[in-house]
Amino acid sequence: MDWWIWIVVVVAVLLVLAGSAAGVQARRRSGGVIAVRRGAIGRRAGKGRVK
Amino acid sequence: MTAPTHEPGPASSSAMMLASEITKRPVVTLAGAAVAQVKDLVFDGTAGRIAGFTLSGRGLLSGPLRHSLPWSGVHGLGHDAVMIKDESVFESRADVLERGSAGRGDVLGSRVLTDGGTDLGRISDVVVEVVEGTTAHVVGYEIASSDALDRQGRKVFIPLSETTAVSGEALVIPAAAAEFVADDLPGFAAAVQAYRARRRTEV
Repeated sequence: MDWWIWIVVVVAVLLVLAGSAAGVQARRRSGGVIAVRRGAIGRRAGKGRVK
Repeated sequence: MTAPTHEPGPASSSAMMLASEITKRPVVTLAGAAVAQVKDLVFDGTAGRIAGFTLSGRGLLSGPLRHSLPWSGVHGLGHDAVMIKDESVFESRADVLERGSAGRGDVLGSRVLTDGGTDLGRISDVVVEVVEGTTAHVVGYEIASSDALDRQGRKVFIPLSETTAVSGEALVIPAAAAEFVADDLPGFAAAVQAYRARRRTEV
């Protein structure tokens, strides 16, 4: 194989890794609305998972 | 209480905000230091109010923080930042989310059903009414409407009853709430008032 093909491969791998890391980080920092039920402290059955 | 508005107003007014507008808002101390940013809203489904916020770090590479912000520690919730006295108001994440609560989950994406069994759509956002920057209640949901609402799948706003609790895999609301659907947030304020008046006459 030509030497430049290895450069293309390395760059492609780095791009995939960077994209994956960015995706994981975006997921870690993404927000939402978490529902809890205050009247049910200590009772797991009373705390509803809505999703 | 003054009439709700969507526009930023004076300190004495109330305003409606979407949960998605509050997340990623910086948490700033009264000394002016931005110490975190809002990650999740913690919604007390029993009382229908905001119980606090989970936090993430401010840096691009930072992730969720171990501590969270209870509502009692909020000095003011404005359109640009969440103000706190100082970092001493933070509590552990478990305390804010309730210790041992393994069943908690994200409201976004949940199905909305009427008590008559009609699927109205899925929750895409939560509408929060903030009064004078110091009290926050969940007053309704933005939903991606189903065919039952005859809105061609558009996003609409539906009011939440004060007595409606969030539990299970879906949110169950009175069928009458479907009559008070609004197409935009400014119109939704009037719909909430009308729906509450209707609920009061029914009780």
